[in-house]
Amino acid sequence: MSLLVFAGASQFAMVQLFSQSAPIPIVIASVLFINLRHLLMATSLRPQLRRLPLARRLFAAFFLTDESFAMATGHFRRGGRSLAYYFTFAIALYVLWNLATVMGIVVGGAIGDPRRFGVDFAISATFIGIVVLAIRRPADILIAFIAALVAGALALARASTIAVITAGALAPVIAVFARR
Amino acid sequence: MTWVAIVSCAVVTYLVRSLPFAVTFRGRLPDAASRYLEALPVAIIAALVGPAVVAPAGALTSGAEPLAAALVIATVAWRRSLLAGVIVGVVAVAVLRML
Repeated sequence: MSLLVFAGASQFAMVQLFSQSAPIPIVIASVLFINLRHLLMATSLRPQLRRLPLARRLFAAFFLTDESFAMATGHFRRGGRSLAYYFTFAIALYVLWNLATVMGIVVGGAIGDPRRFGVDFAISATFIGIVVLAIRRPADILIAFIAALVAGALALARASTIAVITAGALAPVIAVFARR
Repeated sequence: MTWVAIVSCAVVTYLVRSLPFAVTFRGRLPDAASRYLEALPVAIIAALVGPAVVAPAGALTSGAEPLAAALVIATVAWRRSLLAGVIVGVVAVAVLRML
């Protein structure tokens, strides 16, 4: 599954749904909703990828994840131009993800709850850091807080499948009305 | 049956990701649209973290995550270093959750 559906949140949702023997259309619809956020991410990466031939762009799309999007955005915001950064990071992540999947199958039961070590927060901290470094205008700060709070509130309201897409699509509306 | 679902999910996942890359339009974007798109990356990344800070494991946070998040913001704003922020964040959340 990790080889074909390279999408962490969707994979966890699929495992959850399989274990409840949910009907296939429900599984597919859930994955579609969870991954709709990548529509936004791809839209936001378009300007950087426009120079590539179509085949390369379609290749890049397979490896688009939250993490590769965040790292690539940070790179471009710091003034980076090279797309090698995106490809190296995204493909390395794919290889490691699948190695870790195999490791998890082999030794997973022995580890216990990883939350004890705070490791689950490493990704959150990375994303928070990327947002801080990507802030350019005062309005960006407001947008970031609103997006995080709306997404958090939706997750609390058991709507986590649509949390990121809703918050991510709504908050930038502030920028349209903000003074430059 | 499971394989049918996995392959379908793979197709859906890929279509969503590749659509904006495959379609190209000509001409300039209106000002409002380009402002929106400029703010989009920050909003999406912030939205990705929101649930992990406000509602870790699906329930309202005990306060450990928001406090750790504030420390990460302060560290990165001060040191301009992602790595420093991650180290502070992981240590802070591990300690705060034990309290």
